[in-house]
Amino acid sequence: MLEVIHLTKKYGKTLAVDNVGFAVPDGQTGILLGPNGAGKSTVIKSIAGLLRFRGAIRIQGQDSRSLEAKKQFAYVPELPYMYDALTVREHMEFICRAYGIAVPEERIESLFHRFELSDKQDKLGNELSKGMMQKVSICCALVINPKVILLDEPMVGLDPAAIKELKSQILELKEAGCTVLISTHMLEMVKELWDVTFVMDKGHILGTYTKEALASEDLEELYFSVTKQTAEQDAGDGR
Amino acid sequence: MGAIGYLYKKTLINRAKTALRKPATYFLLAMILFYFTIVPMSLKTLVADTGIGTPEGMAGMLTVIAFWLIPANLIAYAKRRGLVYRGSDVHFLFPAPVSPKRVLIYAYVRTLFMQILINLFAVVYGGMLFLVDGWRLALYFVFSIIVENLLEGSIMLLLYGSERMQERQRRLVVKTAYSLVVILLLMAVFTYLREGLTANLLARFLHSDMIQMVPVIGWYIAVVHLLLLGPTAVNVAGCVCYGLFLIAMLTAAWRMKCTGAYYEDAMKFADDYEEVLASRNQGDAVRRLGKKQKFKQASIRWRGKGAAALFYRQLLEYKKSRFFIFNINSVVALLAGAGLSFLYKSEGGFGELETYRIFFVPAVAAYMIFIFAGFGGKWAKELKSPYTYLLPDSPFKKLLAATMIQHVQSLLNGCLMTVPCAVVIGLEPAEALLAIVFYMALSAGKLYSLAVAQIIAGSALGNTGRQLIQMLLLSVAIFVSVMGAILGMSIGGKLFALGIMNLFLILFTGIYMVIAALNFYNIET
Repeated sequence: MLEVIHLTKKYGKTLAVDNVGFAVPDGQTGILLGPNGAGKSTVIKSIAGLLRFRGAIRIQGQDSRSLEAKKQFAYVPELPYMYDALTVREHMEFICRAYGIAVPEERIESLFHRFELSDKQDKLGNELSKGMMQKVSICCALVINPKVILLDEPMVGLDPAAIKELKSQILELKEAGCTVLISTHMLEMVKELWDVTFVMDKGHILGTYTKEALASEDLEELYFSVTKQTAEQDAGDGR
Repeated sequence: MGAIGYLYKKTLINRAKTALRKPATYFLLAMILFYFTIVPMSLKTLVADTGIGTPEGMAGMLTVIAFWLIPANLIAYAKRRGLVYRGSDVHFLFPAPVSPKRVLIYAYVRTLFMQILINLFAVVYGGMLFLVDGWRLALYFVFSIIVENLLEGSIMLLLYGSERMQERQRRLVVKTAYSLVVILLLMAVFTYLREGLTANLLARFLHSDMIQMVPVIGWYIAVVHLLLLGPTAVNVAGCVCYGLFLIAMLTAAWRMKCTGAYYEDAMKFADDYEEVLASRNQGDAVRRLGKKQKFKQASIRWRGKGAAALFYRQLLEYKKSRFFIFNINSVVALLAGAGLSFLYKSEGGFGELETYRIFFVPAVAAYMIFIFAGFGGKWAKELKSPYTYLLPDSPFKKLLAATMIQHVQSLLNGCLMTVPCAVVIGLEPAEALLAIVFYMALSAGKLYSLAVAQIIAGSALGNTGRQLIQMLLLSVAIFVSVMGAILGMSIGGKLFALGIMNLFLILFTGIYMVIAALNFYNIET
């Protein structure tokens, strides 16, 4: 379970995220939606432990900054960066050592096979295309069998086959009881994945919607109706 | 082996394997070996002449380095800027269950390679140039690699990683570091006032007892003095302070709580570092770490169409820049001109080479342009931009429009270098004009040779390969112009030689320009 409690983050005098709170239970997929500058990246980076913030973030009930929480948490950033001098295979080995886990060879082979990286295992980080880097980044996140996984625009740069594979991986993670949080603008890509969605704008959560409650309304309609409503309110308030 | 150990090991092995496959590595190694051999030989005479070829000389040198290095490191750590993390560290290491303290030590240890190399250099040259006993040098080496790093590492952990330290306290550390420098400067002034301007004033100051009493910097200097020169009451006391300080820092760093609050600053620094690296790879030497490029408000009247857009876009960018079209090359040109003038004045001429004085400015210009050939500036960026190739105009016009401002830039830089020299050395207007033309032609040669090098290298050779080809092409142009000068001398005197030299250089620059224009159709060629 992922819990974000009264999260507030300021950059100098600019308030990027104001008292944000939400939770994604085990085995569910949460979607973080919002226009550019809404504060999604700040929330995501705070959960990943990359920012200082006020409030609390809990991963499986533990403080997100603790090593115990980090052991159960995986993160796929929007822009993947590879170690120039490490091969694809060595990236996986490095992650296994960092998380202190012994992963069976078949598991790594299977991930490489599913993301069509089997013939790229000996390629160095600086020899990979953006899409390949994204695939390696996803494999490194999946290899640790996380309890909570955070994916920031994971579909960007992926080919259709990899997008399909990622979706099926996310469904498998859900079935295994993993908590998934995805931040994306590609609403079409996540329509069959989501359970709960959080619409953000100007550093606030505008609304939390579950799939059951929405019944027939799709994500795109929901997103535009919520953001339009807020824009109209702002215009009415003279903001 | 832990994750970080594995990362070091694999990075080192893979980098070595990749480097050994590149011919440029062997060239670089040969250059380093050459410099390592030639530098002590040339320094030996200099050190002997200045009378610093003694252990005191080495202690003095290390003292001067400490004045600069210790406060600089303290300030960098207090501002959380001293350690370099890459985007890959932010991606993989920061969110991983690795102790944030270890992540700090990981970045710190990466800097040790250079430190070991510099200290090896100091030890070898300490024996050769400063005649320090071998055992003392061995002790110094152990101290500088182990003890000093334990202390600096602890201070780094405390300043970078501490989560109890407030911003106000960090600023206080920065102020304290500056205060230590001010104290040392005041001590220098005091020594001067007390002893007057004597021949060994600097030596007296560098080896004075009061310096070794200054906290942190002075204690380090005391250890250096003890190791290289033997014990005195003051340096032993300084060493005790150093030891106590080391124990205190080590204990505090060991006990300090660190959950990774520094990741935010480290991530910002890593982003900045990646941006600077990307800029440098495109030949932009202006971008500095920790400093966002600031642009002024500016506007232009766009005229013409097609290739002209390149010229006006560049002009707009330059107008928005802080120093307009002046850059580091302008400073270097001005300094070179001033240096040459100073040398001429202080030595009372160029001695036996006085008759060839009109060639001095072109010779220095050629050296400078050659060694800075790697910095392509806006032109290198232009060559990598797809828009340059997509613009609907003839390649020749595009080439000219994209380099026009850089020609103006080299004209101004040529003037900055030549005019002071012309006044001091007493060059005739025609001679000065030809020297400026030489500067401009060679700068243009540098631009066009980069485009030709890109054509030859294609996408198969990397940046290094392209740069080596460019330097080779530039060398050919310089060689041909020198041949022209020799030919000119044999026919009609020095001014004529300078003219022929320029003519040959312009001819070669023209050839490079035509080759570049003929192949200026797509990025690949």
